[in-house]
Amino acid sequence: MVKLEFEHRQAGHCESGVTRNLLNYHNFSISEPMAFGIGAGLFFSYLPFLKMQHAPTTSFRVWPGEVFDRATRELGVKTAIHKFRNPKDSMDKLNEVLEKGFPVGLQVGTYHLPFFPPEYRMHYNMHNMIAYGHDNGTYFISDTLMENLVEITYEDLIRVRFAKGAFAPQGRMYYPTFVPKNIDIKPAIIKGIRKTAYNMTGIPFPLIGAKGIRYLSGRMRKWEKKLGPEKASYYLGQVLRMEEEVGTAGAGFRFIYGAFLDEASTVLNQPWLKDISVEMGENANKWREFSYLGSRNCKKRGKPDQSYDFLADMLLDVADREEKIFRQLAKIK
Amino acid sequence: MEDNSNPVYKDQRHGQSKELLYSYDKDGQFQRTVGFHGEPDRIILQQAWDHFNERIEDARQRVIAGKASPIVYYMEKFLADPLNLSMMAGISIWRVKWHMRPGVFKRLNEKTLKKYADAFNISIEQLKKVD
Repeated sequence: MVKLEFEHRQAGHCESGVTRNLLNYHNFSISEPMAFGIGAGLFFSYLPFLKMQHAPTTSFRVWPGEVFDRATRELGVKTAIHKFRNPKDSMDKLNEVLEKGFPVGLQVGTYHLPFFPPEYRMHYNMHNMIAYGHDNGTYFISDTLMENLVEITYEDLIRVRFAKGAFAPQGRMYYPTFVPKNIDIKPAIIKGIRKTAYNMTGIPFPLIGAKGIRYLSGRMRKWEKKLGPEKASYYLGQVLRMEEEVGTAGAGFRFIYGAFLDEASTVLNQPWLKDISVEMGENANKWREFSYLGSRNCKKRGKPDQSYDFLADMLLDVADREEKIFRQLAKIK
Repeated sequence: MEDNSNPVYKDQRHGQSKELLYSYDKDGQFQRTVGFHGEPDRIILQQAWDHFNERIEDARQRVIAGKASPIVYYMEKFLADPLNLSMMAGISIWRVKWHMRPGVFKRLNEKTLKKYADAFNISIEQLKKVD
């Protein structure tokens, strides 16, 4: 029987929320947007060859695990990460670490999660949550999506930790082992911003970053002719689901990133970042507007001003805004 | 963000949980609020569930008409794709696709059927017919 004193806090994004909560347990408190920004979580990629739930994948986030890895590395926090083949080994290791007094982050699949809201129970293997105690086959879980702390049984926990399919979690568990006393977060913030700026504008590949948004907009114009109205509307719905749901806190993380820039301008004492955070906020509102009009289209109330051409033009506008923002951010010193 | 009385969801259990939402208001402040999702989010989630239910119903009709094996129906019911299913059952993806033909499915031996039944958490008798 172990039950650690754990402060649960809800978060917009599962992984940065987990990072924030784990670091907070070790008496190093940063906000969730800060963890997200230092971990360089913002991204865009459109991968038409990778189908997820029968539609092309649009991703607004980096590879699962990146945010925690980057954030802890930049902050000089020592961590331990394990992956397993055998479910029983993974549970033994989890018990052992909990008994040492470390809360543990777990990567899980959402389809079998019993406490999860039923409307989200699809095959999605990149969810993260924290185990902070166990008692006789019951595990105490802090899930940043949920309002309250929850519990899960031994069998269910094995099933979700060894969920199958694309990006299978394979029982991945991670936790900080040593957090230094005095951490200077300024260089970490600058590095995080540079990395994000590079991801969004610097990678010479047409499906990633601001170029990826333009590519998606070009594809979107052809959807209706190529796929028929029904499938086109489902494809559009998939982009919006990736943007608004699956723990993005809205507008594909742009709100969180804006909050991060706002905070960074105070910490670094660089007022120009404040101006960019305002631009980011307006950009995020554009994304929100896009998803609002897009969802009208999905509901088959499509008027001329909600056609695919109109939505594609909105995306081009957003791409220009983001390119401008990140070209400026790349010059940070 | 709005209250929870939105009729978009067809399933009563949907839309009951409160989440943390970020937004940006006109004063230039980033806000954090705990609340329910707005209408656009509900529409697109309901669209996904409509799509899944359609696929399940379609698969059931095809199985009854003898154009597909029951594996297709149970796969759709699990919201899985052939990749998921092959990993769940421990059978290679090409063989899974081969077993989706009704003629091939009839000739399968007990051992293979057991693998599928375990993956779907049902008995072998149930696997052979659709409900």
